[in-house]
Amino acid sequence: MPNPLALIAEITHRCPLHCVYCSNPLQLTSRKEELETAEWLRIFSEAAALGVLHLHLTGGEPLARPDLAELITGARQSRLYTNLITSGIGLSRERLAQLVEVGLDHIQLSFQDSTEGHANWIAGARAHAHKVELAGWIREHQSDKHRIAFTTNLVVHRQNIDHLEAMIAALEGLRPDRMEIAHAQYYGWALQNRSALLPTRAQLDRAVAVVQAAEERLRGQVRIDMVVPDYHARFPKACMGGWGRQLMLIDPAGRVLPCHAAGVIPGMRFNNVREHGLDWIWQSSEAFQKFRGEEWMPEPCRSCDRRKEDFGGCRCQAFLLTGDASATDPVCELAPLHHLVEDAVREDAVIGTSPEVSGAPFHVLQEKMAGFWDYRTDPK
Amino acid sequence: MAELTDASIPKFAAGCRWGGTTEAPVVLFPEGAIRVEGTGRIILELCDGHFTLAEIVQKLEEQFMLATQGKIRADVLTFLEQLHAKRIIDY
Repeated sequence: MPNPLALIAEITHRCPLHCVYCSNPLQLTSRKEELETAEWLRIFSEAAALGVLHLHLTGGEPLARPDLAELITGARQSRLYTNLITSGIGLSRERLAQLVEVGLDHIQLSFQDSTEGHANWIAGARAHAHKVELAGWIREHQSDKHRIAFTTNLVVHRQNIDHLEAMIAALEGLRPDRMEIAHAQYYGWALQNRSALLPTRAQLDRAVAVVQAAEERLRGQVRIDMVVPDYHARFPKACMGGWGRQLMLIDPAGRVLPCHAAGVIPGMRFNNVREHGLDWIWQSSEAFQKFRGEEWMPEPCRSCDRRKEDFGGCRCQAFLLTGDASATDPVCELAPLHHLVEDAVREDAVIGTSPEVSGAPFHVLQEKMAGFWDYRTDPK
Repeated sequence: MAELTDASIPKFAAGCRWGGTTEAPVVLFPEGAIRVEGTGRIILELCDGHFTLAEIVQKLEEQFMLATQGKIRADVLTFLEQLHAKRIIDY
């Protein structure tokens, strides 16, 4: 049984942004259900004992938790590498300095597009200008004794993919160590909005060329990591490095899942850290064992040479597209239901127009875009 | 890509540090961790901001006296350049 290497901690689902591709589930956890500080600190210590090296603090917006500095302090005491995945909203220069002081190792700051109007349209909030200002403050912590790594993250989809060159140029100006260019993955809110988000093949091919050119140009200066959209691939991704093999995710209420989306699979019981130790959940719980190994695999996976590389693809995607979580991921060209993905990719491209959002309250934006996409809403 | 010369001082890039245990140390960086053993570990322990490339090579040459002239320098260079491309080592 391998050890988990990383823990993704969704410490809250509250978020001031309303990104249309949010990876959170459609059923969000409310504030009153959230784990308390002491519970998270116990989890971090159990995770480190289990062999976890990296802690990814995410949400929602993790900055919405006033105890974030305490959580980072505790994680560092448990010898975990701490990564903050954030929109930056709620991070003043002083609070940033405090998080760096207590040992934050890495900050991953999201961007939505290259220009303010378009970025705010996608996020459903006025956020872009603050992110640019924050990037400057992050750079101030590059020469201190506590040196923090800075990654910019851009989620790419049909509505911004044609601005990729401008986006990379704009981000380069913020001098990050890394750029993550991640194509939207179609779960949760992104799946709900797929008809507005899935890029065309031609868009994707251009984007790949743009990224390759940028990689060449920025080698040794900025590392670029690209996550490609699996709908356009021939074979499925090895989702999360395989079910229950490398990662575990804990939602705001303490449920432990093998990934962001597994909560959608019906009939699964995901155990809670309030009732069980993390070690037992990882080693022995039914949910984590469900799709480990090869016993569950149908054909063509079971006799396929690729099964040790991609583990049959993504179980959540299999369920979301075929209704059967044990089916071969339909992204695979060998899957019996591969036509489901081919049909989605063939749909006509719709390039949206961003309405004037400056000053427009969220509910107005929501109304204007109804029928085109649904903004992520905040938990009650 | 920045050039690595004898006067360069290689050191861990921002957000990269030692982790794991004394028996099984790893280098932690934003996307993951690498286990380093043997010579790799010795080189990285010298990348603490105190030594130039020339000094690191000299220390290794003293330690591995049988190595062919110039081979250690070439190996150290390749190793550090690879880690630089991954943004783990700066110089």
